[in-house]
Amino acid sequence: MLQFIAKRTATLVAAVAVSSFAVFLIPYVTPGDPVRKIIRSRVAGDAIEDSSVQALAESLGLNDPLAAQYFRWLGDFFSGDMGLSYVSRTPVAEQVLPSLAVTLSLVAMSLGLAAAVALPLGIISGLRPGSMPDKAITAVTQAFIAMPEYWVAPVLVLVFALKLSVLPTAGWNDLSSAVLPALTLALRPISFFTSAVRAGIIDAAAADHVPAARARGLSQAQSIIRHVIPNGLVPLSTLFAVWFAGLLGGSVIVEVIFAVPGMGRLLFDSVVNSDIPLAQGGVVVVVALAVGVTTLADSVHRFLNPTVGGSLA
Amino acid sequence: MRSFLRPRVLVAALATLTLAGCGFSGTQTQAVQGTAAADTSQRIVVDNFRAPVANWAIESDAAYILSLSGCLETLTRFDQAQGKVVPMLATEWKQTSPLDWDFTIRQDVSFQDGTPLTAESVVASLNHVLDAKVPARAFNRTMVSSVSAVDENTVRVSTPAENPLVPYRLASVNTGILAPAAYKDAEVDPFGHCTGPFTPVSEKAKQSLTLDRNENYWGGDVQLAGAEIRFITYGATRAAQVQTGEADISLSIPVASLATLKGAAGVTVLGADSPRTATLYMNNGRAPLDNIDVRKAIRDSLDLEALAASVYEGAALPATGPFAPSEPWAGEAQEQHKQDLEGARALLEKAGYTADRPLEIIAIVERAEFADVAAVIQENLKNIGIPLSIQAKEYASAEPDVLAGNYDMLLSQRNRLIDIADPIGFLTADYTCKGTYNLSHFCDPEYDRIIAEAATTVDTNERYKLYAEAGQILQDKAVNAWLVNEQATDAVRTNVLSYVQDPLSRYVLTAKTAKAAS
Repeated sequence: MLQFIAKRTATLVAAVAVSSFAVFLIPYVTPGDPVRKIIRSRVAGDAIEDSSVQALAESLGLNDPLAAQYFRWLGDFFSGDMGLSYVSRTPVAEQVLPSLAVTLSLVAMSLGLAAAVALPLGIISGLRPGSMPDKAITAVTQAFIAMPEYWVAPVLVLVFALKLSVLPTAGWNDLSSAVLPALTLALRPISFFTSAVRAGIIDAAAADHVPAARARGLSQAQSIIRHVIPNGLVPLSTLFAVWFAGLLGGSVIVEVIFAVPGMGRLLFDSVVNSDIPLAQGGVVVVVALAVGVTTLADSVHRFLNPTVGGSLA
Repeated sequence: MRSFLRPRVLVAALATLTLAGCGFSGTQTQAVQGTAAADTSQRIVVDNFRAPVANWAIESDAAYILSLSGCLETLTRFDQAQGKVVPMLATEWKQTSPLDWDFTIRQDVSFQDGTPLTAESVVASLNHVLDAKVPARAFNRTMVSSVSAVDENTVRVSTPAENPLVPYRLASVNTGILAPAAYKDAEVDPFGHCTGPFTPVSEKAKQSLTLDRNENYWGGDVQLAGAEIRFITYGATRAAQVQTGEADISLSIPVASLATLKGAAGVTVLGADSPRTATLYMNNGRAPLDNIDVRKAIRDSLDLEALAASVYEGAALPATGPFAPSEPWAGEAQEQHKQDLEGARALLEKAGYTADRPLEIIAIVERAEFADVAAVIQENLKNIGIPLSIQAKEYASAEPDVLAGNYDMLLSQRNRLIDIADPIGFLTADYTCKGTYNLSHFCDPEYDRIIAEAATTVDTNERYKLYAEAGQILQDKAVNAWLVNEQATDAVRTNVLSYVQDPLSRYVLTAKTAKAAS
C-alpha cells in the first residue's frame, strides 16, 4: 500500500510540474503577443500603443528569461502562493477556489445523475442480454454519445425553459438552475456507465461462483443481488473517476451556454487572455484533483478486486 | 433623505411600439416610451454581454458595466440623440487657453457614501486613471498632461497640445468619478462610492451585480427599486432570457436569435447603427494592391446587398463608405455602392493584373460570419478573374504579419468610437502615415493634413466637415472595401419604460428607466 501511495505521489508531482510548465509555455508558442492579449482582455479594441505593451511587460516581469519566470512561479507555488492574475491583479487562489467549488458541485450532480440512471439500465440490460429491453436501452443510451453538448444544451433550454417554463435558462443560483447543465453533462456518462455496467453484469453472471451459489441453495434473485450485481459494478468505479477528472476542466461549453462560473470557463478565459498565473493555478488544481480521484478509484477497484494490478499490501 | 413614495411618473406611448423593421433601416438610437404607469417597487434585470475581468479597474472595460448599471457617472455625457456632449457631473466647461480646459463641478452632488463631490475628489479620481499601468484609451498621459483643482468647484485639464476634444474624453466611461474612499492601495472599490442613480450592493463573481436605488440621487427620483446586471457572454442565452422574462433587457442580441425574438410575445427588438463597419482591409503598400485600379476593381466586384441579405440575414446594411450614413460626419454624398463587373474587369485590365498573381484573404475566426463573408467575396472576385484563397486565423496570430505589411487582404471590423464619441482616434490611428494601427499601410499627405487640422478644430460642425473630407479621400482612393454597417440590437420586455438604446451600451439604466407592474 505504501509503495502504491508513493508511486501515485510521484505521479502527482510529475503531473503538476509538466502541466504547469506546458500551460506556462502556451502563450509563447501560440501566435500573437501575450502582452497584447492581456491588454485586450482588459480594454477591448485593436489599436494598442507600443508604450503600453512595454510598460505592462516590464511591470509583470515578462521581459525576463522564460526559465526565470517559470521558476519564480514554481518557487512561489511551493511556498503556498499561486500569484496574482495578470488580468485582474487579484490573487489566483481567490478566483480558482470559488470556480472549483462550482465545478465540483456540477460534476458531482452530473455523475450522480448519470450513475442513478445507468445502474438500473445497465443491470436490466446485463441480466437479459439480447432481449428487447436490452436492445432498446442500448440503442437509446448509445445515441447519447452522438449528441454534442452544444446541441443538447439549447434543445433542453428550448423545451424546459422556453416551452414548459419550468426551469431557468441559465445562471448558478439554486438547485433549479443546476438541473439543465447537470443533465446536459450527464448524457454521455449515462451512455458509458450503462455500457460498462451491462458488460460487468454479463461477466459476473458468467462467473463460476454464481452457479455454485445457486447449487448451495440461493434463489436466482439472491444470487444476482449477492454475487452478480456487486461484482458487475466494479468497472464503474474506474470509469466514474475518469469522467470526474475529465469534467473538472472539460465542461467549458456547458458553462458558457448556461453561464455557470466554473473551472472550464476560468481555464478557457485564462488561456485566451494569456493570464499565465491564473491558467497555471487552475490547471495545477485540476490535475492534482484528477490524480487524487483516479488514485482513490484505483484503490477502491483493487480493494474490490484484489486480482487487478497486484495487491495493495 | 428623499422618500421613494413619490407620485408615480407617467411615461408616454408604450402601446405604439411600432418598431417598423425593428430599426434595421440605418437608424439613430431608438427609445421605448410608454403610457403605462411606472411601478417604483419594481426591480429590473439586464443581461449584459460583457463580464468584468479587471476587478472593477476604472481604466478597463469594467467601467462600461458600472456605467450601464447606473452607478458610475462622468463629468460630461455624450447624448446620442443630440449628437453632442452634454453636462453631467460638470455643469459647464470652457477652453481657457490653447492647452487648458476648465470644468465647473456640479454643486450639491454627493457620492453614495455621503461624501460631497468636490473638485479635489474629481482630480484624485482622474489622476488615478492617468496613473494606471494599462492606461485608458480615451484618457492617458499621451493626451493629458495634468489634472488639477483651480478652486473648490473648478477642475482644470491640461493637454500637451491644443485639443478640442477634451470634453469628449471626459464623457468616456473610463473617466468615471468615484469617491476618494474607493481607492485603496492599487484596488478600486465602487461599492457605495459612485454618484449615479443606482448603488452596487453585492456581486456574484462572474455572474451578476446587484444594485439598489440611490435615494439621494442628484438627478431626481429614481423610478426603479433596484437592478441586477447579469454577465452572460453567450448571445443565445441572453436572447432566451428576455424571451422567458427572466431578463427585462438583453443587450447585443446575435443575428441568429433575431427572427425568434421579433415574433416573441412581450418582447421588443431595438436596433441602431453601430459604429462598426465590416471591412475588407487591403494592403495598399504591396503589389498588386498598391495599384488603385486593382483596389477599385475589387470594390466594384462586390455585391454588398447580397452579402448583407445572405450572411447577415438583413441585420446589417450595405456600407456606403468608412462611416455609417447616420453618423454626423458621414457627409452628404453617401451613395450605395453597386456591383459593376464590367467596370471592374476593365480596371483590372488597365492595371495589368493577371491571374498568375492570386490573392489571399485572412478571415479572423473571432467573427464566425467572416468565413461566409470571405466565401462570398471569393465568388465575387472569381467573376472578374481574381483567384482568391482564404486563410482562417485568430486575430492575434494574423496581427504581426498585418502590421508588418505581409498580407494581401484582411476581413475585420473596428469600433470607430471605442475611445470617445468622435472618430478622430480611429481616423488617426488607422489611416494617417504614422498611424499606430494603419493596417492598410495607406499614406496620403493631404489626408494627414486634414486630420491634423481636424484635431485642432474646436467647432464641431467644421470638424465633422473635415472628417467627411477625409472619408471621401479614403473612398476615392479605394483604400479598403467597406462591406456592411453592423447594427447594435437590444431586446426589451414591453413593460420596460423609458429605455433609450445606446449603440455602445454605455448608458442603459438611468433614473428615468422604469417598469410597469407585471
